[in-house]
Amino acid sequence: MKERIEQAYENRPKRWLFELSVTLVVVFLLIWSASGIETSGTTQNGGKIAMNILSGIFHPDTKLLFNLTTKGVPYLLLETICIAFLGTIVGAIISIPLAFLSASNLTPKPVAFVGRTIIMAVRTIPAFVYGLMFIRVTGPGAFTGLLTMSLCSVGMVSKMYIEAIEDLDTKVLESLDAAGCTTWQKIRYGILPQLMPNFASTAIYRFDINLRDATVLGLVGAGGIGAPLIFAMNAYRWNEAGAILAGLIVLVLIVEWISTKIRVKLARG
Amino acid sequence: MSIYDKLFPPKTITLANGKTVQKKRTRMPLVILILAALTALSVKVTGFNMHTLVSRINEFFVILGQMFSAPNWSYMPKVWGPLFDTIQMSLLGSVAGAILVVPFAMLASTNVIKNNVVVTVMRLFLSIVRTLPTLVAALIATYIFGLGTLAGTIAIAVFTFAYMGKILYEEIETVDMGAFEAMEAMGATKVRAFVSAIVPQVLPSYLSNGLFCFEGNVRYAAILGYVGAGGLGLILNEKIGWREYPSVGMILIALFVTVFIIETISRAVRRRLV
Amino acid sequence: MIEFKNVTKKYPNGFVGLKNVNLTIDQGEFVAIIGLSGAGKSTLIRTINRMHDVTEGTLTVDGTDVMTLQGKTLRRFRRRIGMIFQSFNLITRTTVIKNVLTAFVPDLPWWRAAFGIFTKEEKIAALEALDKVGILDKAFVRADQLSGGQQQRVALARTLAQNPQIILADEPVAALDPVTAKQVMDDFRRINKELKITVLINIHHVDLALQYADRVIGIRAGEVVYDGPVDQVDEKVLDSIYQGGQEKTA
Repeated sequence: MKERIEQAYENRPKRWLFELSVTLVVVFLLIWSASGIETSGTTQNGGKIAMNILSGIFHPDTKLLFNLTTKGVPYLLLETICIAFLGTIVGAIISIPLAFLSASNLTPKPVAFVGRTIIMAVRTIPAFVYGLMFIRVTGPGAFTGLLTMSLCSVGMVSKMYIEAIEDLDTKVLESLDAAGCTTWQKIRYGILPQLMPNFASTAIYRFDINLRDATVLGLVGAGGIGAPLIFAMNAYRWNEAGAILAGLIVLVLIVEWISTKIRVKLARG
Repeated sequence: MSIYDKLFPPKTITLANGKTVQKKRTRMPLVILILAALTALSVKVTGFNMHTLVSRINEFFVILGQMFSAPNWSYMPKVWGPLFDTIQMSLLGSVAGAILVVPFAMLASTNVIKNNVVVTVMRLFLSIVRTLPTLVAALIATYIFGLGTLAGTIAIAVFTFAYMGKILYEEIETVDMGAFEAMEAMGATKVRAFVSAIVPQVLPSYLSNGLFCFEGNVRYAAILGYVGAGGLGLILNEKIGWREYPSVGMILIALFVTVFIIETISRAVRRRLV
Repeated sequence: MIEFKNVTKKYPNGFVGLKNVNLTIDQGEFVAIIGLSGAGKSTLIRTINRMHDVTEGTLTVDGTDVMTLQGKTLRRFRRRIGMIFQSFNLITRTTVIKNVLTAFVPDLPWWRAAFGIFTKEEKIAALEALDKVGILDKAFVRADQLSGGQQQRVALARTLAQNPQIILADEPVAALDPVTAKQVMDDFRRINKELKITVLINIHHVDLALQYADRVIGIRAGEVVYDGPVDQVDEKVLDSIYQGGQEKTA
């Protein structure tokens, strides 16, 4: 019996070479990445500043927090919501035709490939580049922010729309055909019911993300809560920054909670 | 009976044989009303103006044209440095965030930890970190750690931490607990049972999601440079400021190619994982 | 030696899982526990390795009161008791031998446990355990590619690798077809006779119980209604355990 066991041991699959090389590659990549990190900028004040930020966040400037004018936090949060909302809608509208063009089960392969490449290109351009470009079109302000957000959304939204389209169950169309429906009726009753909940759910998901990313807009002067936040931080007014951050975090948490509920309802019906 | 049903009672349909069926009124009118109201409000608040957009839109395409019709190829050598910085930041940040989040995700799973307080606190913590916009985290990081790639790496680590956290604990909760129970019955601690029984089950999706997150982080890293956190963002900002659009186009092309390569490799690896 | 002295288990909602159980089981016995679903068979077995707590009475295993064990002592206690589950409880995505090797994990230093590094001796010990249940040839196959019977034998090998003194089996053959069930029961009997390990089996199939066990304990509504050698189990005894009872849910 002993020899059989020794035999089995000798015959064990020797994957260690593969696993070792994978580990080596990963470790090498990590070391190479770490070498690129510059720590020269770290000053002694680092810890002190961290403390200041924390204390600022926990002692927010309540005057600014509840100021109801156009410069106050509530209005700016509202502006941010509106920018994210319309930006998501416009982005979704732009994504729909793009997605249909790029779905491999609807269009011939070259067309789909071109469509996907366009989407990838749109997705790669960083948000602030769009922001700066749109400022030249519509000037600084919330409108620009909206347009920037919509182009930024196109990347993720169209990708998810494409997945939804490619997952379409075409067997339903077969049964509608057998019942004698026209093409339009097949689309309305066969395709749309599958796509609509999915599209809506994706749009809501992206809305959440846009709400958080809207701070980018403030950087380039495109409206929203980002601008006063950046100013406050640049001026080391941590109490103000804390107020704004607190408002933003609360808002995002609430919106996320609501949107999760809606998305669950969309998924389960 | 929800509020809506109380206001608009369900319609009762009576069949020929006397049986009745209750049909709830469709929510669609309410949904459309809400959407329309929100849209109107947003249009007013943001100053959405179709007219302005249409008349000025060619400015956008003018700039686009300047970027890509004749990109400045000779600028390319200067792009390599920041490009590698960007990749290094995203790689290290993604790995750091993904590894650090594992114990937190374990503590946030109801099937591993029976103490509801711990689970709720952990999830709240992960939620709050998730709502922090990456750019804000990067900005704060530049104050604490100074300008440069370290700040960017930290910001990306924080983002990855938050993103992977939720995905990971949701995945852990769907796991088959049988092997975990067997390990505990054999005398293993919770941690060892977790490592031996649960980790092998969630590992493929963990790695797959991690790679996906890394893909996104490379593009994020480019943005972070705008606040001085290193990478391509720095030179992008500089060139746009100088209106040197051909150079901007060059940088964007380099970024695009890099992202394309990384995404292709990532997709291939991810397909083998699942 | 396992000793139950007036053991009662009451759940927080008032339901009584075990009522005044008095049992003595010596080392090396092969005991089958039979009864209706929900009668308390599972609860009885799981109190022995303290997967369930005892609310009244004392339960001692080899002189140790089970309720006094905590944390580290509890874990070390559990090392000596093996448990077999109805649903096998294997890690399906990994190979058979890795599953058996998990039996060594609680004793490893942290870095070996985290990265799954095992010594040659441990691997050979795992292979020996697999050989004892007759599936050495499947050692490097992924666990989910095996049949139910084979998977249960992997679970058995995993338990054997622990070198336990007691094996608790909770409906080990309920999910198996009759032929495979007999094979697994044969394995249990061999382990019991050759290695002198105490085997306690919860089992639904009365015929298998009567075929393999030396001693039968009948449970009904949390109480022991029969405790004696297997050759004295007749229709009357089985009626007292099963007849007229309804499916109870905890």
